[in-house]
Amino acid sequence: MTAQALLFTLSCIGISETVYLIKKRLSLQKPFCPIGENCLAVLESKYSRVFIVPNDILGLLFYIFTSVITVLLVIGVGPLLMLSIAMKIMVISGSLLSVFFTYLQFKVIKAWCVWCLISACTIWLMGVTILLSDSIK
Amino acid sequence: MSKVSFHILRVGMAVTFIWIGVLILKSPESWGGYLQPWAVKLLPFGISQAMISTALLDIIIGVFLLVDWLTWLAASLGTIHLIIVLLVSGISDITIRDIGLLAGTIAILIDSLPFYFKRLFIKLP
Repeated sequence: MTAQALLFTLSCIGISETVYLIKKRLSLQKPFCPIGENCLAVLESKYSRVFIVPNDILGLLFYIFTSVITVLLVIGVGPLLMLSIAMKIMVISGSLLSVFFTYLQFKVIKAWCVWCLISACTIWLMGVTILLSDSIK
Repeated sequence: MSKVSFHILRVGMAVTFIWIGVLILKSPESWGGYLQPWAVKLLPFGISQAMISTALLDIIIGVFLLVDWLTWLAASLGTIHLIIVLLVSGISDITIRDIGLLAGTIAILIDSLPFYFKRLFIKLP
């Protein structure tokens, strides 16, 4: 239960962050950039989309799915084993993708976006929580 | 309240509301045990249904707070909801947590209130 509460909290942090970025993008406003001034360099780079889908939308979908799966696991509704496996696959894939995006910021774009780093840390923490927990079966 | 602290409080309260809603959905009957007998008598339907309705309200309030949409309305509902919880659950070991949550929703409400409402209650420059 503790691990699930942690996973849910991290998912909610992710939802809140991606919703903020989507709102700022749609209203053509600059996001608050507390560290450095290069958030936009990352957020408007050619790597900010996968095919035509913006990364913030993909992130939001990821966090919504993980939070819904966590809720279903807690309540005990649905095919629990399949949901648990789906959760692990999603978080592992998300963690690897976050490593790639962090590498892109560091080596290719050569600029840091604090929101992208917070999102990466959130997903890595979700991965660590799953690795350390026995309750996510 | 500074913008950053407001958002930290908002997300924290959102997680709390949604998670409590989920826990109530998991076992509504046991959460119904917190209700005072006089409050149970006032219910027009069973405890289980009342608790499921409460859980759904908690989740809706939490989602609105999380996505920062109609935040003032969610905070108003949360404040009223927590006052009712304090009234119908009586004084127990966990009452103090509800008081803390109530303070949080009031703080969010005051900070997110639209200008035209704020003007009614607070003298603005």
